[in-house]
Amino acid sequence: MTLAPTSLRSLALVLAFAVAGLMTLLEASAFLAAAGIDPLEAFHNMYVAALGSKFAIGTSLAKTVPRLLCALGIALAIRGGLWNIGAEGQIYLGAAGAAGAAMFTPDITGIHGPVVGLIAGFLVGALWGAIPGALRAYRGINEVITSLLLVYVAIQIVNYLVEGPWLVPNSTFPATAVLPPSDRLSRIWPGTLLNSGFLIALAMTLVAHVLLYKTEFGLWIRSIGGNERASHVMGLPVGLMLVAVMALSGGFAGLAGAIEVLGTRGRLVEGFSPGYGFEAIAIALLGRLHPFGIACAALIFGALDAGSGGLQVSSAGMSSAISPIVEGLAVINLLASLRLIEISLKHYDARKALGDRQRSDRPPTLKEA
Amino acid sequence: MIDTNAIVLLFTATIALASPLLFAALGELISERAGILNINLEAMMLGGAFCGVWAASATTSLFAGFVGAGLAGVIIAAVHGVLCIVLRAEQVVSGVALNILVLGTTTYGAGAVFGSNIGRSVDTLVAWPIPFLSDLPLIGPVLFDQTVATYIAFLLVPLVWWGINRTVAGLALQATGEQPAAAISMGINVRLSRWIALLTCGALAGIGGGQLTLAGLGTFTPNVTAGRGFIALAAVVFGRWTPSGAMVAILLFTLIESLQVRAQILGIKLPYQVLVMAPYLATIIALALFMKRMKAPRGLGINV
Repeated sequence: MTLAPTSLRSLALVLAFAVAGLMTLLEASAFLAAAGIDPLEAFHNMYVAALGSKFAIGTSLAKTVPRLLCALGIALAIRGGLWNIGAEGQIYLGAAGAAGAAMFTPDITGIHGPVVGLIAGFLVGALWGAIPGALRAYRGINEVITSLLLVYVAIQIVNYLVEGPWLVPNSTFPATAVLPPSDRLSRIWPGTLLNSGFLIALAMTLVAHVLLYKTEFGLWIRSIGGNERASHVMGLPVGLMLVAVMALSGGFAGLAGAIEVLGTRGRLVEGFSPGYGFEAIAIALLGRLHPFGIACAALIFGALDAGSGGLQVSSAGMSSAISPIVEGLAVINLLASLRLIEISLKHYDARKALGDRQRSDRPPTLKEA
Repeated sequence: MIDTNAIVLLFTATIALASPLLFAALGELISERAGILNINLEAMMLGGAFCGVWAASATTSLFAGFVGAGLAGVIIAAVHGVLCIVLRAEQVVSGVALNILVLGTTTYGAGAVFGSNIGRSVDTLVAWPIPFLSDLPLIGPVLFDQTVATYIAFLLVPLVWWGINRTVAGLALQATGEQPAAAISMGINVRLSRWIALLTCGALAGIGGGQLTLAGLGTFTPNVTAGRGFIALAAVVFGRWTPSGAMVAILLFTLIESLQVRAQILGIKLPYQVLVMAPYLATIIALALFMKRMKAPRGLGINV
C-alpha cells in the first residue's frame, strides 16, 4: 500500500508499461541490427504477417487463444497465492483428454461432439492441476517444483499415447487420426483459420473476471492469496480452496489444449505446444493478473507469433527466435520498470510521511525513523 | 545373461551423463541455500552450452570454451540478480522470462554462428585415464577413465559440503537462506551473500552446460539441454538440499537415462517414455512420501 494518490499511481503504472515497451522495442531493434537485419524492414514484414490482411488478423486471433486461456488460469492461481508453473503439462493432458473423448464416443455427434471434448479437456487439465494443489495443501510441498516436474511427465504420457496405442496404424507420424468433423470446432470467420475456440476464450475471460471480482469464491481466492493464515483463522477452508484454485487453473489450460485438438489441428499431435504454458506465465504478469489486461497481453503475443512468420522469407533464422526473444525482453523490462516505480512510490511515501511529521512537530516514532 | 562389458559401459555412461547435471545441481544448491531459486537453471545451462562451443571454436581452445560457458552462466545469473536481489522482483517470473529469452537467443545463434555446419564444430574433451587406478577391473573404466570435467564435478561434491557446513562464509550463506531477517540483524550482508551464491551458481551451471557440448556432442543444436536444467532442479529437491543427496539423485536419474538408451539391448520391455519421465515422477513421489524430512530453506524465494 502506498500513500500516493490514485492518479499518481495510475500514471506511474502507465509510465512503467510505456518505458518497458519502448525499451523492448529498442533492444529488439538492436538485436536485429546486430544480426544484420534491417529492423524497420523486419517490423514491417511482421506487421504485414500479423495485421496486414484479413487472413493475418485471423491468424493472430487464433494464436491468441491458447495463450489467453492458460494465462487466465495462471493468474487465478497467482491471485490465490499459488504459482502454477505447470500449465504446459496441463495443456498437453487436456488435449489428450479431448482427443480421447472424441475418439471413444463416436456416437455423440452434433453440437454435443465438441462439447464433450471440451469438457473432457477441462476436467483432465483440472485433475493434473489439482495434484500440485493437493501436495501443497496437505503435504506442504512447494507447488513451483511439483507443477514444473509434472510438465515433463504429462508430455511423456502424450508422447506414449501418440506413438503407441493412439498412433494411426501403419503411420510413422506421431499423431492420432484426424478427428471427424462432427467432433471439431467450426470455423467462424470465412477466409481465415479462426475457429469457435476464440469465442470460448473470450467467454472464459469474462467468466474469470466475474469469478474473481463478483463471487464469494473469488473473494476467497483473493483473500487466501493476500494472507493464507488470516484466511484460515477467518474460517475459510484454505486447504480445499488451494486444491480448487489449482484445479481451476489446470482446467483453463486443459481447455486450451482441447481447443488446439478440436479446433486448430483437428487431432492430437506430438509436441504441438511450443511452450504456450510457460509463455502464459509471462502474459499473466504483463496483464497485471487482471482478465482484461491478460486478454490484451495475449493479443499482443498472439500477433507477435503470427508476425514472426513474416520473417520467414527475408531472414529465416530469425523467424522462430524473434518471438521468444521479444517476449523474454518484454517481461524482464516490465518486471524491472514496475519494481522501480514501486520503489519510487515508497520513497515518495517516506518523504510525504517525513513532511507530515515535520508539520505536526512531534518526535519521530521508531518505525518512521 | 548380460556380459560384464555391457554393465561397465552402462555405468561409465551413467557417470559421464551425471557430471553436467552435477555442476548445475551443486550451483543451484548453493543458490537455494542462500534463498535464491533459479527456475532459469535451464537457461544458464543452455547459455553455457552455446557460448562454450562458440568460444571454443573461436579460439580453438577447450579451456577458453569452458571459460566462455561459465561466463554465459554468470551473465544470466547477473540479470536474475539485478531483478531479484537489487529490484526484489519475483524470482519465479524472472526465471521463466530468462528461460524464454535464452532459448530464443541461442536458437537464433545456432543458425547464425554455426550455420549449416551440422557436424562437429569443435574437438571434444577426451577421457583422461588416471594411471594405475583406471586399470582396476570393473571400477577402473567406470570411475577412473573419464574426462577432467567429470573428475572435477565429483570432487566438488565434498568441497561444496565442506564449504557450506564447515566455513564461516558457508554458515552465513545458510543463515541468509533460512532466516534472512535474523541474518541481517547478526550483521551478515545478506544481499552480498546472495550475490556470491547466485553468481557461483551461474558459473557452475554454465560450465555444466558447456560440458554437455564440449565433452559430448562437439556442436550446438537448438535447445540442446532439453530440460536438463529442470532435472538438476529436481535433484536438489530430491537430495534434500545436500550435495551428496543431489549426487545420489542425479546418479539415479542418469542410470535410468543410460538404461533407456540401452533398453532394447538389455531386454527391457517398458515403453521408453516411462523411463524418460522416471526422474520427474520419482522426485514427485519422493516429495509426497518423505517431505516431512525434506525441509527447503525457509527463506527460499523470499526477497529481502
